[in-house]
Amino acid sequence: MGAYSHILDGYKILDFTQFVAGPTVTRLLAEMGAEVIKIELAPGGDPLRTMYTFKDGRSSLFVQHNRGKMSLCLDAKSAAGRGILLDLARAADVLVENFTPGAIARLGLGYEAVSRINPRIIMCSISGFGQSGPLAAKPGFDTLGASYAGVIDMNGYAEGGPCPPGAAIGDVTAGLNGAASIGFALLHRERTGRGQYLDISLLDTYFHCHDFSVQAFSASGGAISPTRTGPNVPGYAPAGVFRGKQRSIVVMAITAAQWRSLCRVIGRPELGDDPEFATSTERVERMPLIRELIQGWLDTMPGDDEIIGVLEAARIPVAPVLSVAEAVNHPHLRQRGTVMTVSDPVLGLFDVPASPWRFSEFPQARNLRAPFLGEHNGTILKQYLGYTEQRLQQLAGDGILHSENR
Amino acid sequence: MGPFRHVMEGYRVVDFTQFVAGPVAGRILAEMGAEVIKIEIAPRGDGSRVFAAFKDNRSAFFVQHNRGKKSLCVDPKKPAGLEIIKGLIARADVFIENFTPGVIGRMGLGYEAVRAINPRVVMCSLSSFGQDGPLALAPGFDPSGAAYSGMIDMQGEPDGPPVGMGGAVGDTNAGVSAAAAIGFALLHRERTGTGQYLDIALVDAYFHCHDRSVHIYSGSKGAIVPRRSGNHTPFYCPAGIFKGKDRYLVITAVTQAQWAGVCRAMGRPELAADPRYDTNEKRAKGGVVEMVERWLQSLPGDDEAMRLLEREHVPVCPVLSVAEAINHPHLRQRGTVATIQDPVYGTMDVPASPVRFTQFPPLDLRAPMLGEHNAEILQNYLGYTRERIRELEAQGVIHRDNR
Repeated sequence: MGAYSHILDGYKILDFTQFVAGPTVTRLLAEMGAEVIKIELAPGGDPLRTMYTFKDGRSSLFVQHNRGKMSLCLDAKSAAGRGILLDLARAADVLVENFTPGAIARLGLGYEAVSRINPRIIMCSISGFGQSGPLAAKPGFDTLGASYAGVIDMNGYAEGGPCPPGAAIGDVTAGLNGAASIGFALLHRERTGRGQYLDISLLDTYFHCHDFSVQAFSASGGAISPTRTGPNVPGYAPAGVFRGKQRSIVVMAITAAQWRSLCRVIGRPELGDDPEFATSTERVERMPLIRELIQGWLDTMPGDDEIIGVLEAARIPVAPVLSVAEAVNHPHLRQRGTVMTVSDPVLGLFDVPASPWRFSEFPQARNLRAPFLGEHNGTILKQYLGYTEQRLQQLAGDGILHSENR
Repeated sequence: MGPFRHVMEGYRVVDFTQFVAGPVAGRILAEMGAEVIKIEIAPRGDGSRVFAAFKDNRSAFFVQHNRGKKSLCVDPKKPAGLEIIKGLIARADVFIENFTPGVIGRMGLGYEAVRAINPRVVMCSLSSFGQDGPLALAPGFDPSGAAYSGMIDMQGEPDGPPVGMGGAVGDTNAGVSAAAAIGFALLHRERTGTGQYLDIALVDAYFHCHDRSVHIYSGSKGAIVPRRSGNHTPFYCPAGIFKGKDRYLVITAVTQAQWAGVCRAMGRPELAADPRYDTNEKRAKGGVVEMVERWLQSLPGDDEAMRLLEREHVPVCPVLSVAEAINHPHLRQRGTVATIQDPVYGTMDVPASPVRFTQFPPLDLRAPMLGEHNAEILQNYLGYTRERIRELEAQGVIHRDNR
């Protein structure tokens, strides 16, 4: 579109993050054309580089979360290293970090310091539990945020234990929230010329995902105390995971029209107009009976294809529970580009999830490569800070800069 | 900060959405100060107005997802109704809809038509499976996207059935994705003056959450097929959900230093150097989960376990119920739980927006009664007279809940 290769063409991002949540923020910005400088602590860099799976020492996990970034690997505790970071912060539009709260200020890059040298900068901190409150200083990983948010307790069967989410949903979503807030802060800067500080947490992110449970508990004065309900979706009925012929199948009929339609399909049309089943709330109470009726009908069907065909024809939401392997190879996810095939110099071609944001003015797939450790030390310092080749060699000799020899 | 009350002050959003994903997108924009006009189809309005919990027929579910919006309840199938919606889009910055793909086009409000009315508008469609591809026309709710993305299959015991999601995580996530894409599209409009069309899907939002499974399957050329593994994974140990004395605990000790911390907490420091347990994989196969659970059971209570593990800097936390999370001092102090005012409920709690700006405090937003703002919107935005508004009401073009 016009002069721009993508929305963030020309924006400079200083990315001082590791693991998943922080790198997701900056990867999403890179997918929109921003120039992202990933700062990695010498000598090891982002610990994700050492995590599974590998080919010739290259981590596909690191590649997924760091495509489209440049790598600058330095000793952030040395005076020269700090000087470089402050100089880069002067030139950047956005600074993203995800250390445990307090750590970034100890490195000299707290918002006070950064906004003094660059009042236009937008600084976004991502943490497990946020920058304030009793839990703030705790280290945070995905599952811990999910626990404190009451999300894990909602996963699993009532009679059994809780079950963790099937992915680091909160990490990725906290990344999404970080990127979203940065976009709006940049929009605000267009009107005011001012930057600001953004405080995003994994815990807030998971808690925000309670579509039903929080209001139900609070508005009922505690009369409804949501907990895990196994295969039933909490709060709606009928909705949940059922036993198909070959695999598990999701069936939902939560509106009045869908419920009537489902009753016809399972051969009990009279229930569609039965006042005892009239609303989702009443059906939630009668879910054991409804489950029996639906399961009974499913058991009479010849196969999953027929089940899905009949329900789809009746406009009832239905889906087979696909494994990750099946989802990756599903024609819809392929055709739509939900699965993106990327190319890496070491790993070759492999698949990662695409950004969930689609812009009509810009193509989805851009060939972004993840950097080797310290790959762009020279480029960044010459281009942004005007360092000479001699100075670069000196910094490398002093162990302030580090790079992987590939 | 400065002359603006919040980031989106002065922006106008036409929100033609229902249930969860679409309303979340509009609500996040409202939380940033945008003026959000919710179009509800006469006479019933948003299908989520009938979802529990209730007080005097007011759905708290609806309140949570529609705070800060104005309601216009109109029949889009009547020409006068469609004209109203088009008039509002002509004056809007953003137009959001979440009907099954194709429906909005048949109403005469597809992107081509919308762009012809207002080339600066950012139009965002949310759907279960996206606007194209073989599944596009299928209706769907949150679990449909979770199923087709391979997410549900990853939850549960390896030899048991899969476990559904504990909430509409994907709907919320798709709503956040839509809001984010809208923000960036508006930023782009600042440079170019033109709007664009955004196509956000639940299945994309869920699939995007696979932090590890997709590249593991693909990078290993299918040699490793990720499957659900209950409370513990074969890749990291001890890391997962453990049965404590009083409740379940999450312990995450994936580095060698954290494992050494677990050993010291258990009073068995010598295990840290034991070659039988020196990698995550060996620990996963070697009975470490059982060892940790036996230790937890030997303690007087979980508080003691947390104290011993935290002293060794091992990440640990209790699995809280929703009720406990809502009342936890951290979530309260930080405002992760937002206590809001509603004319029917009085005060009630909802999740606060996770998109936080330190320069702007949260706004006080109320969810509308059905059609509450019909007259205000038609007068202020479209210049309709009182007489014309009464006429439209009599013809059933617009509708409102009389309270």
